[in-house]
Amino acid sequence: MGKLNVLRHELVPEHHLVKKEDEDKVLKELNIAKDLLPKISRNDPAVKALEDIHGPLEEGRIIRIVRKSPTAGFSIYYRAISGEIFK
Amino acid sequence: MTSLLWKDTKTHVSELKKRVPCDYAVDFDLKDVAAEDGYITTDKKSVQYYVRIAEISKFKESESLILKKKTGLKSIIRVLEVMDIDPLPISEFRKGKHKLSEVETFDTGDRILIKLEEKPSYLETLDQKVKDVVADAKKVGFDIPLSVAEKVSKHKKEMKPAVYKKFLERIMAELARNGIDPHEAVGIIAAQSIGEPGTQMTMRTFHFAGVREMNVTLGLPRLIEIVDARRIPSTPSMTIYLKPEFEKEQDIVLNVVKKLENTTVIDVADIITDVGEMTLSIVPDMPKMNDRLVENSDIMDALEKVKGISVISDEKDNRITVKPTQESFKKLYQVQEQLKVLTIKGIPGIKRAIARIDNLTEAWTVYTQGSNLREVLELDEVDASKTYTNDIIEVASVLGIEAAKNAIFLESQRTLAEQGLEVDQRHLMLVADMMTFGGSVRAVGRTGISGRKSSVLARAAFEITTKHLLRAGYLGEVDPLTGVAENIIVGQPITLGTGAVNLVYKGLKK
Repeated sequence: MGKLNVLRHELVPEHHLVKKEDEDKVLKELNIAKDLLPKISRNDPAVKALEDIHGPLEEGRIIRIVRKSPTAGFSIYYRAISGEIFK
Repeated sequence: MTSLLWKDTKTHVSELKKRVPCDYAVDFDLKDVAAEDGYITTDKKSVQYYVRIAEISKFKESESLILKKKTGLKSIIRVLEVMDIDPLPISEFRKGKHKLSEVETFDTGDRILIKLEEKPSYLETLDQKVKDVVADAKKVGFDIPLSVAEKVSKHKKEMKPAVYKKFLERIMAELARNGIDPHEAVGIIAAQSIGEPGTQMTMRTFHFAGVREMNVTLGLPRLIEIVDARRIPSTPSMTIYLKPEFEKEQDIVLNVVKKLENTTVIDVADIITDVGEMTLSIVPDMPKMNDRLVENSDIMDALEKVKGISVISDEKDNRITVKPTQESFKKLYQVQEQLKVLTIKGIPGIKRAIARIDNLTEAWTVYTQGSNLREVLELDEVDASKTYTNDIIEVASVLGIEAAKNAIFLESQRTLAEQGLEVDQRHLMLVADMMTFGGSVRAVGRTGISGRKSSVLARAAFEITTKHLLRAGYLGEVDPLTGVAENIIVGQPITLGTGAVNLVYKGLKK
């Protein structure tokens, strides 16, 4: 029995790590400061799965999420990794 | 890839962290070791730090070294970076064919990794025809939604180029007409669009639909449950799909059902307490045992795991006698309580499982009462990419926040559709997005989204006025008056629609 790959589950959309050098481009395109981006917990299972691929990820890294949208085909969303998620 | 594992003290680690990149002299021989990374453990049982290593060389005296010990130094590790990681048990590492259990001083091991891969990008898997339509639309001057592009690509051949171009222009005009205006109050529209049909929903709590013998909360109570982000829904249930190779095999399916159902001792047997002898007798109830396919040996196996008791099996009497090792009434009572909820087999949390066959495809699907997504997904027979639970908080903790967002959307849409109500998907998507914005599933309402607005006045206007005002008073909160409610309170134009636009008049130059 192996570790489960959550990225394969139907409910989970694509998660891609944004390269460090591309982060500014993303923020500029959205015209937003990094701390105002939607957040994703460091302990989120999808982030953990990305860590297995890319090695440890520190806080503040941006993740590009490509969602299948029922109205627009697909839509791109960004989340910043955050260590302080309140339940 | 082999990693280096060694034991070290916290002081050394913090020293390393301060001085990276640096050379670290260690007391073990690393002559034949080639590793690009390493892990440091401080308690021998789990690793807490991740280290990137540039190179490993033989020990040589030099001034800039950090020393692990004063004497007996043998190798130098050039450390590039030290990072805190969440503790990983040593058993996640493998040396040859064996799992490592402890790191005394140093060791090498391979991290056991199941190759995880990112999904191929949805954009890249698109049909070339659809990509062409997207490119054509770009030339006309707009971004076409893919769902539209897919439809257009099917009919592209039937159109003359001039008609095709005109068609794309019409789509652009239609999109512009349907787009929401800047500064439109989408939240209010969503709230009313969900709220109005909500008044027509049945107030009945229970609704017997879908699976026979299964009872799922639907209607208004379910919708409230979703937006309140309850920790445990009133009727958690799962839909378990099996891997394609198993889903038509009836025997395997029934076996899975048996594996799933959580059976405790009290489900199949009576427990009799004998105060005089200070013993407990477990008397199996045969009809119940056969119904749940449990045998005496299963109970014995389960009892082995309980500590502080001695078990005497009596074949003739068909009863199992349990005696606590410590003779006291308190202990006897404790053991009794413990035995009642002792799991004989199955997955905790799953009360019942029922398999149903789809008459068209002849594929079996398992429905359960109670939910335990994490453990069910680990089962070999289960298709871990489709299996679904209606417990949104559980989805968030097992599959992540984005999956929870999808689950909120799907569940609320299903609940509304069940009642024959049509609500535009966009409103539900907005609610799902707002609830998962902060990285965890938040309720709508006092404790959730509304209760955490940044503006004091808006919060005070909503609920528990004095608490918010008092708190803002002694913390010295500042309200920049950017929202709607606070501007109404102070009598200013609200920041919506035309109110959000500032006009500056520049006089004519003479």
